[in-house]
Amino acid sequence: MGILPDEIKPAMQGVIPSHVVTCSRDGTPNASAISQVYYVDPDHVALSHQFFNKTKRNIEENPRAAVWVISPETFEAWDLELEFVRSDTSGPIFDVMEMQIEAIASMVGMKGIFKLRAADIFRVIAVTKAVGERIPLAEIPGPR
Amino acid sequence: MTVDPRDPSGLREQIAENQQAIDRLNRDLARKSNEVQIIQQISSEITSTLDLDEVLGIVLRAMDRVLGFAHSMILLKDLADDVLRVAATRGYADQGGGAQVGMGEGVIGVVGERRKMMRIGNIGASMRYLKSVRARMEASGQVGPVGPTAALPGLADAQSQLALPLTVKDRLVGVLAVESRTPNAFDELDEVLLRIVGNQAATAIDNARTYQMVEQLGRLKRFFSPQLAELIIRGGADDPLKTHRREVTVVFLDLRGFTAFAETSEPEELMGVLHEYHAEMGRLILAYEGTLERFTGDGMMIFFNDPLPMPDAAERAVRMAVAMRERAVELASRWHRRGYELDLGIGIAKGFATIGAIGFEGRWDYGAIGTVTNLAARLCGEAKPGQILISPRLLPEVEQFLEVEEAGLLAVKGLARPVKALNIVRLRHPA
Repeated sequence: MGILPDEIKPAMQGVIPSHVVTCSRDGTPNASAISQVYYVDPDHVALSHQFFNKTKRNIEENPRAAVWVISPETFEAWDLELEFVRSDTSGPIFDVMEMQIEAIASMVGMKGIFKLRAADIFRVIAVTKAVGERIPLAEIPGPR
Repeated sequence: MTVDPRDPSGLREQIAENQQAIDRLNRDLARKSNEVQIIQQISSEITSTLDLDEVLGIVLRAMDRVLGFAHSMILLKDLADDVLRVAATRGYADQGGGAQVGMGEGVIGVVGERRKMMRIGNIGASMRYLKSVRARMEASGQVGPVGPTAALPGLADAQSQLALPLTVKDRLVGVLAVESRTPNAFDELDEVLLRIVGNQAATAIDNARTYQMVEQLGRLKRFFSPQLAELIIRGGADDPLKTHRREVTVVFLDLRGFTAFAETSEPEELMGVLHEYHAEMGRLILAYEGTLERFTGDGMMIFFNDPLPMPDAAERAVRMAVAMRERAVELASRWHRRGYELDLGIGIAKGFATIGAIGFEGRWDYGAIGTVTNLAARLCGEAKPGQILISPRLLPEVEQFLEVEEAGLLAVKGLARPVKALNIVRLRHPA
């Protein structure tokens, strides 16, 4: 029995973009939108590495990350705490992610330009279903 | 989530959540057992026919009625080219028949190329994301403007696709794809179900296709050499049974004195002579790669440059005719000894003809129609024993190795002016 519940799967299809927060060695946080957090197994997720960016650099300096995923069906959200395990450039997880990226890239004339460099595998340390407290509209401050 | 016993609202929430999970499990279980049953039914249906269209229809109907996939299609890998062609669709206004997908193009093309299943539920979001990445790259000059993208069959605004390669022993037969305008329309269970149906469909489609090919091969072998028939089946040559127009060299031959001989001889004698004559002439037709159009008793019509184009069609026709005449002299002397007065006459003409399958279901012939066939028949009819009469149109191609003599003017049905006939005296041997 892994840490990720089955009901989280729809949130990991990339319908609603996810967000990832990482930190540099000196502790400077960085938040970034990512197109998809891939479900690997009940204890692991994968992030796609297409470009070398701040997220990628931070992970190399500090292997911890937090991601936020949303189900497009129920709009339920989950907070995940992750720890970097390895970067795959082949194998079944890489293949599944790479095929999808290649298919989409071919449809927008970006075949060969937009491609998966690696599938970054993370272990899920903690998962929390973010049960948002509903605030009545009248109590929300600000102009209307 | 931990439950605080002092917090009844948290407890209620936990119970409600558990109940939801139980309901979901029950729904999944009911769906599974129901679907497994129906899948067994589908498999017995698709294995009960060898008709390709019927197999495709059963599979797509099941996608819709049993699995609830309203938009589905089957693409088959072309036998000659590395492309997938739409063979059947269900749930589309446009049937999309014949549309093709290159390997590696879109979800279906990538599935065909990699021979791995793909489930994707965020096509719209992914495409918007990629287009924005593209725009940024273009703005910074990293890439040029978007090249043309292939129009793919299916829904223009599909959000979800589930595509399965249809393989038989690692050989790609085609791709089965379902799609939806709803994001995340397919889940892991759908993958499992599609895989079960797909595996059976692949085998059934492959069997039906093989059967179709064997049938077509049998049909083609009646008219063409086995090698050519196989070439046609494998897609290396256009199906010649489709009507087409082409310039051909037509050879007509028959035996002078055959009608009188047939009237007076015993059936066994008659058939014996015919068999001997057909066997000898048939051997030469094969050797010179002519297409035998038909036998009518002692008459035979052969043409060249179709179905396979031959740059030296006229030369082949003439050389075959000369070889036939030489062989016929030997046959005739044997026949003369038995008291049969039979001699070969040949006519050759060149011109355009309409060629294709002529006949009706159950009795098809590969035939050529045109003035050129009339002219060749007419020249043959006029030929005296041992003569090979050719029309002047052939001359430019064959005169360098032929010695000919004029043999008079012929009136031919369908031609306004009489045609000069030339008799082949002999082949000119290189000096």
